[in-house]
Amino acid sequence: MKLKKLVSVILVGTMLASLGACGSSGDKNTQTSNATSEGTEQEMVSAGEDGITVWTFTEDLKTMAEKYTEETGVEVVVNIIPTADYPTKLTTAMLGSSCDADIIVGEPQMLDDFFDNGFFANLDEMGAQDYEGQIVDYVWERGKDAEGIQRAISYQITPAGFFYRRDIAKEVFGSEDPEEIGKLFADYDSIVEAGEKLKESGYRIFASDSEVSYFSGNEAWVVDGKLNVADCRTEYMDLVVDLYQKDLTAYANQWSTPWYQAMAGEVPILTADIQNYQDDSVNVWDADQFAEATKDLDTTQVFAFGLPSWGVLTMRDHVGDTAGSWGFCAGPAPGFGGGTYVGIAETSEKKEAAWKFLQWCTLNEDTANWWIEKSQGDAVSLVSVLEAHASDENPIYGNQHMYELFLELAEKIDYSKVTRYDQTIGDLWGKAISNIKTGAMTKEEAIDDFYDQVESTYAGEIQVER
Amino acid sequence: MAKTTKKHSKMTAYNNWGYVFVIPFVVVFCIFSIYPVLRTLWLSFTNLKVMGTSKFIGLDNYIRVATDKFFWRAVWNTVRIWIVNIVLQLGLAFLLMMVFSDVKYKFKGLRVFRLVYYLPNLIAATSIAFLFQTLLDWKFGSFNQLIALIYKLFGQTYHYVNWIGDPKYAGNTIAVIQAWVWFGNSFLMLMAGVQGINRDYYEAAAIDGAGRWTVFAKITLPLIRPIMMYVAITSLIGGLQMFDLPYLMVQASSSSYDSVQTAMMYLYRFGFHQGTIQTGYASSVAYMLFLIILSVSLIQLKLFKRKEN
Repeated sequence: MKLKKLVSVILVGTMLASLGACGSSGDKNTQTSNATSEGTEQEMVSAGEDGITVWTFTEDLKTMAEKYTEETGVEVVVNIIPTADYPTKLTTAMLGSSCDADIIVGEPQMLDDFFDNGFFANLDEMGAQDYEGQIVDYVWERGKDAEGIQRAISYQITPAGFFYRRDIAKEVFGSEDPEEIGKLFADYDSIVEAGEKLKESGYRIFASDSEVSYFSGNEAWVVDGKLNVADCRTEYMDLVVDLYQKDLTAYANQWSTPWYQAMAGEVPILTADIQNYQDDSVNVWDADQFAEATKDLDTTQVFAFGLPSWGVLTMRDHVGDTAGSWGFCAGPAPGFGGGTYVGIAETSEKKEAAWKFLQWCTLNEDTANWWIEKSQGDAVSLVSVLEAHASDENPIYGNQHMYELFLELAEKIDYSKVTRYDQTIGDLWGKAISNIKTGAMTKEEAIDDFYDQVESTYAGEIQVER
Repeated sequence: MAKTTKKHSKMTAYNNWGYVFVIPFVVVFCIFSIYPVLRTLWLSFTNLKVMGTSKFIGLDNYIRVATDKFFWRAVWNTVRIWIVNIVLQLGLAFLLMMVFSDVKYKFKGLRVFRLVYYLPNLIAATSIAFLFQTLLDWKFGSFNQLIALIYKLFGQTYHYVNWIGDPKYAGNTIAVIQAWVWFGNSFLMLMAGVQGINRDYYEAAAIDGAGRWTVFAKITLPLIRPIMMYVAITSLIGGLQMFDLPYLMVQASSSSYDSVQTAMMYLYRFGFHQGTIQTGYASSVAYMLFLIILSVSLIQLKLFKRKEN
């Protein structure tokens, strides 16, 4: 009888475990269905007969579409799809001939696949070549397919540089001039030297070692079908490992609470263990818990952030009381990050109307001038407009002429060094660096693993010579 | 005679209508089952990326997949997770089946228990993934907080375990969740097998004075072997196709990703992931998995048959 009681208790226990979890999952289900209904709210909609339909992943085109409708009276229906889902959604829709979009977009790393699959219409046939030379060179080149046919154009440039604190620069290096400070960031060795000097003075050069990721080497990853691990790649690897292992950063993960807080002033000095989650006493993703857990830690101020030109907007929202004491200078290698490229869907039956909208968004000086104002500092791609705004002063950056420098940096970007493999191979290289800096692998093991991964991913496509 | 022939031809004409009735099914079956299977087979011999031109490359894709250590690591991850899962899943289902089939206990409320145990199987995988991500969250998860509380009661400090993010734990965590989802299903199957056994055997055994364990080992177990075989094979086929939970629960950038990347996730990387899409190669991976599953199922079938004999 005792056994029976025991078994009964176990049975009921198992049942409660099932029920309990199912009960909890009921709540979760509600959340999921909410998420789905949010998705349903954003159900793909199409424009009427005279309007055009846009599939995008940013709010920018929605803002532009509203202005376009206001000016021309043409209906523009904008469907915003999360960036992570966009390639799959567009590919599936185009392959299934169920894409009713007239305007489609892509980020730089997505474009080659989209072009190869014939999703983007030929813009040269619409007259795009008339505008050659008016758009910053690397943006124009990025919009071309392998045969040199223009298929997409971006309204923005995204050259990367360093945003730095002028007051700290003056105190530690005796100068706040962008050209002088640019020399500190001119190569990987000088960055480590500057980092050590800043540490001696009680500062940290960067909030995280991700700040240098936009300058990870000015060489193509793949040359003539062969993997090219140029010297600059291994030098970059050494730089990141040095920054991490010599405690030169504040160990704040990019986009986490302390990373944003570092823009506004003092932040607690974290440790490598906190950053790689070995030490779980500090939660870096929750502002309140972070403040509570770090109140007794020593603090520091961060000198610089490495970001593309759109970092102007990120900084603007987070610099707080340090506004006015920032500057912007070039990094050790030309680099760029992101950008929305606009094209016309090959399947569109309203290509003329779509071309007019595309022209208005990307090739129209009035639109570009309006967009600079509206976006509060985005860098447009029309050279004439950038030149016209070259002497605009930005008070957050000590009245520095930001557009002048953005244009200068963008013109240095050599697009021939950009390949379709950059995203995947760059991520694998980043994983190797992470394994070395945290001690999970030796440098040799990590590089070997990197070669293996590239060989496995692109077998028969990229030759790997070790 | 003429009358018979007429009747016969009438019947034949009537029977022909049968073909008309099955046409819709055959058409749908050919479009959605036969065509994709054959098309995938053809693609596996080409170097197609997504669209555009492709050329026939013979067995190159198959040689590549057979010699790729990352594919075999993914297969090993799948098998490792599946083994832990099947031991727990079948073990629990078996235990419950023993209790509910016991002739002496005669437990009441089998229907209620059966329903409740089956409930996790009805929840969508995405919901389960989100549910356990929340419960097992490293910093805020109720599970870790509960353990920390228990430790605290005994004056000890608990170092939070990263159940999903740590390569040491991620695979087993997913296996346990899979077992929780599927044990109700296995229990249901086993109970159906038990209920199909003729009660006369049990009565005869009772008259002969057979004990509980003898009845179970000599009557129940041998007679539910076909059902057990069915559960094992379907679980194996499902297990080797494991995708949803590990894919939804572990981010590609997580350090535990390499330890939970299953064979299906490997396939997905080449079939659908932007930047690495190689449709031809992904098709050969699909066929390779099919061959692996087929071989393992045949071996399993043989083993069961040998035992039966």
